[in-house]
Amino acid sequence: MQQVAQLKPNPGPARANAVEVIGVSHVYHGREGAVPALTDIDMTVPAGRFTVIVGPSGCGKTSLLMMLAGLRTPTSGTILCDGRPIPSPDPQRVGVVFQEASLYPWLTAVENVEFPLALKGGPRGERRARAEAMLKLVGLDSFGGRYPHELSGGMKQRVSIARGLVQDPPVLLMDEPFAALDEQTRMTMGHELLRIWDETNKTVVFITHSLTEAVYLADEVLVMSARPGRILDRVAIDLPRPRTYQMMATDKFGQLRERIWQQIRAKE
Amino acid sequence: MNRPSPRTVRRLIGLAVLVLWEAVPRLGILPELFVPPLTKTLVVLWSDRLIYLSGLMVTLYEVAFAMLIACGAGIALGAVVGGVAVVRNLMLPVVSSLYAIPIVILYPIFTAWFGIGSESKIAFAGVYGFFPVMLSTAAGIRTIDEQYLLAARSMGATLPQLIARVIIPAAIPTVLAGLRLGGALTIIGVVVSEMLTSASGIGYLVTINRTILDSPRVFAAIIVVLLLSIMFDVAVRAIERRTLAWQNAGRRVASTEDVRAARLPAPATA
Repeated sequence: MQQVAQLKPNPGPARANAVEVIGVSHVYHGREGAVPALTDIDMTVPAGRFTVIVGPSGCGKTSLLMMLAGLRTPTSGTILCDGRPIPSPDPQRVGVVFQEASLYPWLTAVENVEFPLALKGGPRGERRARAEAMLKLVGLDSFGGRYPHELSGGMKQRVSIARGLVQDPPVLLMDEPFAALDEQTRMTMGHELLRIWDETNKTVVFITHSLTEAVYLADEVLVMSARPGRILDRVAIDLPRPRTYQMMATDKFGQLRERIWQQIRAKE
Repeated sequence: MNRPSPRTVRRLIGLAVLVLWEAVPRLGILPELFVPPLTKTLVVLWSDRLIYLSGLMVTLYEVAFAMLIACGAGIALGAVVGGVAVVRNLMLPVVSSLYAIPIVILYPIFTAWFGIGSESKIAFAGVYGFFPVMLSTAAGIRTIDEQYLLAARSMGATLPQLIARVIIPAAIPTVLAGLRLGGALTIIGVVVSEMLTSASGIGYLVTINRTILDSPRVFAAIIVVLLLSIMFDVAVRAIERRTLAWQNAGRRVASTEDVRAARLPAPATA
């Protein structure tokens, strides 16, 4: 029943699947005892693909992302990132971008981007140059000296993306990164993200509430059920790339969006 | 018409206070026993400068050690109380209640334990200043945004790195506010305890001159305490400016915008 991506023999064998989730369940121990948060999740993201996870609030999307980042351990099942388990966070394999940009207000933009490199140590000049290159990638090369509160919401998320990419991890995880932005900024940021993705060849796992955003960005959309979270459907988004804003007005786009919506609505 | 800036107004008020201080007793509106004229006070301060200076040195010495105790113990214990949930739940209610007690009633006990020399002042003022430092340090650490910690962990931060690079910088603004309050209380604690029981220090000079109704010398001592407090405030501000440059960067932007926004409707109301 599950369509594992069939790949031809690949020159880089370990890189075929950037993210593999095999039979993962998670039980959350809260005040009212054990609450199953995720049941039997299987998910495969081939290297370089853009996967979006949608689902109702509290369906465990964020839990799943935390596990992919090594920030939380699943109760059962296996998670492989870049071919190996991820028992603890490893910014060289997985970069994370959070909903609130979670930049440190006491550091400038460039210092925020440099933060993961500073944790690792290494020559200061090299670190700074790398951070500045990342800011340039996200289109903020002249804003490195600003503090976060001197940046707009969209700019903060750009800095946050630069920080997630600064160690050049093959996988970038994004937890509703544009949810707090206004509609126009959100559209622009989605488009920018696709450009950055295209330039850097990353594998992206992206969580969102917005179905339009999901269809616009994704190669594949995973639809999750309400708690306990299961994967209800996998929708391949076969819209051509590069994506354009005009595509949102096409029938194809509407049909894909509708299919996802029906899945979510049926289970509410 | 242009409104004078707040700074100009502040200076004018200060000047007015000084002029009144001189004029009111001279004109006989208040007896000199209540308020001696400013010039008379300054003359006494100058002629007795050696007495006041040696008193100030004693007070400064006591304040310095008391601040060391208040800040050191306050930050250390505040960090534990703020960082460890078990300790927090156990201690915070107790400490918060203790803070409401007028600790000055304990001063006689301090003199019994430490004598009437500097030691009892240092101990008393240290305890007096300790509470706000500890409470604000605990609050500063407890209220750190979880997202900051989560993000740092996702970037591979170890626990020492988490403390040095996230928890401490994030807590600094609140801790500094506590140091400011705690430091001021320490000065109060030293001066008050000197006034109650002692044989030296500025507080002692206030008390001794009051008992002989020498108002100019009482006021001269008050001026010295005022200068001490102002010096402390200037020092704390300088520290805040240095460590909180990132906040100031924003405040500057915000305040000029605020001023502009606030000024716009002014002509209509004037």
